[in-house]
Amino acid sequence: MNRFEPKIIAFLCNWCSYVAADAAGVARLTQLPNVRVIRVNCSGMVDPGYVVKAFANGADGVLIGGCHPGDCHYISGNIKTLRRSFLLKSLLKEVGVEDGRFRLEWIAASEGPRYAKVVNEMVEEIRNLGPYVPLSRRPAKGAA
Amino acid sequence: MQATLFEPLRWQEQPSRVAVYNGSEERNVYFQITAPKDLGTICQGRPVEELPRILSILGPAHHIASAVVLDRLFNAEPPPMAINMRQALLQTLVFTHHLRKLFFFLTSLEDPLADRQTVGKSFGQPLFSRHLFDEIMQCLSLAQEAATILGGRADHPLTAVAGGVSRYVKPAVYDRLAEISDSCVSFAIRLTEFLGSDLFENPEVLESLPAVSFEPMPALSMNDAGSIVLHDRTGQESDRFTSDDVFDKIELFREPWTYEPFACLKGKGRNVFDANDSDGLYFVGPLAGLNARLELSTPYAEEERRRFVDTLGPPPHFTLIAAYRSLLVELVRASERMTGLFNPEKLTGPSTRTVPQELQQQQATGAVESPQGLIVHRYRVDDRGMVEEADILDAASQNNALLCRTARRAVEESMNRNRSQDETKRNIEASLLPF
Amino acid sequence: MPKKKLAVYTANGCRVCENSILDVHFQVSPFTPWADVGFWPYLTGSQWQDLDGDHRFDLCLFAGAVRTVDDRSAALRLREKSRLMLAVGACSAFGGMPGLLNLNGAADKADLVVPEKSAEPALPRTESRVSALSDIVAVDYVVPGCPPPKNLLWAAIQALICPGECTSRISYSASRLPDPISQSVASGILPPRGSTFAGEKAVCASCSRVKEEKKFTSVLRPYEIDPDPGRCLLEQGILCQGVATREGCGGLCTAAGAPCRGCFGKAEAVFDPGAKMISAISSTFDSTEAAEIKTMSQGFVDLAGTLYRYTMPAQCVLLAGPAEDEIHAGDVV
Repeated sequence: MNRFEPKIIAFLCNWCSYVAADAAGVARLTQLPNVRVIRVNCSGMVDPGYVVKAFANGADGVLIGGCHPGDCHYISGNIKTLRRSFLLKSLLKEVGVEDGRFRLEWIAASEGPRYAKVVNEMVEEIRNLGPYVPLSRRPAKGAA
Repeated sequence: MQATLFEPLRWQEQPSRVAVYNGSEERNVYFQITAPKDLGTICQGRPVEELPRILSILGPAHHIASAVVLDRLFNAEPPPMAINMRQALLQTLVFTHHLRKLFFFLTSLEDPLADRQTVGKSFGQPLFSRHLFDEIMQCLSLAQEAATILGGRADHPLTAVAGGVSRYVKPAVYDRLAEISDSCVSFAIRLTEFLGSDLFENPEVLESLPAVSFEPMPALSMNDAGSIVLHDRTGQESDRFTSDDVFDKIELFREPWTYEPFACLKGKGRNVFDANDSDGLYFVGPLAGLNARLELSTPYAEEERRRFVDTLGPPPHFTLIAAYRSLLVELVRASERMTGLFNPEKLTGPSTRTVPQELQQQQATGAVESPQGLIVHRYRVDDRGMVEEADILDAASQNNALLCRTARRAVEESMNRNRSQDETKRNIEASLLPF
Repeated sequence: MPKKKLAVYTANGCRVCENSILDVHFQVSPFTPWADVGFWPYLTGSQWQDLDGDHRFDLCLFAGAVRTVDDRSAALRLREKSRLMLAVGACSAFGGMPGLLNLNGAADKADLVVPEKSAEPALPRTESRVSALSDIVAVDYVVPGCPPPKNLLWAAIQALICPGECTSRISYSASRLPDPISQSVASGILPPRGSTFAGEKAVCASCSRVKEEKKFTSVLRPYEIDPDPGRCLLEQGILCQGVATREGCGGLCTAAGAPCRGCFGKAEAVFDPGAKMISAISSTFDSTEAAEIKTMSQGFVDLAGTLYRYTMPAQCVLLAGPAEDEIHAGDVV
């Protein structure tokens, strides 16, 4: 049987995390190829709706990468992301998206190795979780 | 086995049907509720303070019952003004509910939606002026307006919250409330005169009603002091308890052919089809209240109750006509109680609610005499106030056995009189309506 | 102009929507001069046989969610017989409160006992999830709300039933209705398919409470506070869904001191009401410290059951859509 290859959508901030991803590539760090990157101007513009839509359209995991708190190019965009993340995590959990499928990470432009590490960790974690199946499509327990 | 289905049933709150099996030896009649409500499941995991709004889909009185449970969970005694406002809302709901049922009863005699231009062509001599429909609906809309003033919304109210109500009644509407209750009283009295004296004693109408009576059953009702009283089938008081004990005395059981559970007294007979083994099955509602033989505290309602006793004899009654007349008595009573409560003095006070600080109990019970009869809620919550279990004793479960028996009687009676399918269906529907 | 023919039906829900339709007829403006009711089991005692034959209805007002196989076949039959389908009320439009069963496992509760004796009648099976009407059949128009306010229900009846010369139609003033709807009410031309008879913006646009800058440091459960009557509830730390919910009710609940729970469904521009609310609530947290924000977030309980209170089957993006395993062709008559 083929090994499950998760699909991960990564929203990376233009000023830090995207640069880190670039740097990781240039430095030829080993990264698993399961990530589809979407470059955004700031992690603060990633509305919870984007994350929900990614899962609804078949993503197995979503990563948001932003600058470290205090380093935001737009002063406080990443704090906005941080504020949303906790509630979003609980909501996702309640509607059947397991912990670990959604991650928020601070990755500075210089942290290429860290980016590679985060991606590899996340892919392995989601591989263990298996493909994301919406609650409404899981076979019912017990009933015919 | 040949089965005949009467489906869907008119005027029923829930999707329901009657299935008749004509066997070689016996005929079986089943009153089926064809969809589950599963409200216990819906409530699980919800924050307990949301339950009054969620459970109002069962009927607006459940909103109030649920708020009573919240008061007890949080040990928050509502201020008198809030209790009055909830009671005023409840009486308004009783009024609208009974008025609507009586409207439905009249629509069985005349088509309410017939185009006015064609009336008189398709029908014979009408029993009453069709203007009566407009008047009933006019009065209903007034009562709905009062319910909106008191409850925020007429059908799924909002204002009852833990420890009281969520807002004051604005002084601007005091006069309006008084106006509404006055016209409700006078309309209710007119309706008793017309329905009680003319219609319910008109042989033509009595002929159209199936002459259904059901086997005597115990009746459960809540008295004005808030205790729950059980009357046996002869009308004698046989037990009295508080709402906290309800679930020690009463349990629910399921039958495989209906989604609605049956309520019965613990440890007693519960055979829906066998009158000899069914001393645990009981009923609730306006008729159950009148069978308690209590004098009513309001003058016009007491007068109407006496008329009820004079016409039909002393209670207990187990007939359809008594059930219809009990709606009338309660209609008058509700309108009079509305008048008493729609009073600025009753609806004002220093505060609308006692704001609860934290959860005081893990479990609490609350009961209310709803328009359809006694309802009891019991919630068990965790320490964050999330609902672990919600038990809801609905009037529909308590009257389920009664409805099964009434449906059976209606079918038997129709067959004995060789009625057609359509007439049988109408008979069934008219027998189920007043409960 | 020939009279139109109507059908009215409720699947799984309470009877308030049907009562409201009746009330509109008697309290606002009678529709029988323009239409005959051909099928209305609740009021006129119609039976399923009345759908046989080749007559068709011009409009079906369908209320209630789809819970059992019987509800499904009713929806399919009425769709087949009707030229236009109007979903009335939150249950029919989005799945409504029964839709919360999808979260708590509707299928697990399918504890149907199969009758042992053949002489006992069977019950229609419950489906593995509660569905909105639009999950089953194409829906032409929607009147949301629990129950729909009479003015919107009336607007729908005006637009879909009454001909252009009807006097009440001409006198109708469409206060906050979107342009296409009010034009339709005024002109007698059907509104665009898929229109919702309600506002376009969020409930906040018509809520009477004063909104200032939304910032709070502590989260409150609705029972913990007697909210200030004039101020925005969300600003006072109470979860209120007005921001993500379609307007049209006029801020009914917030005016009564109760927070909005979204019975009108999501506002036009919102993708997922839950995600929108997450964004709205968290923007009000007055903190930059992760630990503090985390504590505040934990104050919100039962997010899914609250944010999708009325809309779980149709508008919760992650739970919507019929599951493949549940279409049982054999069950549909």
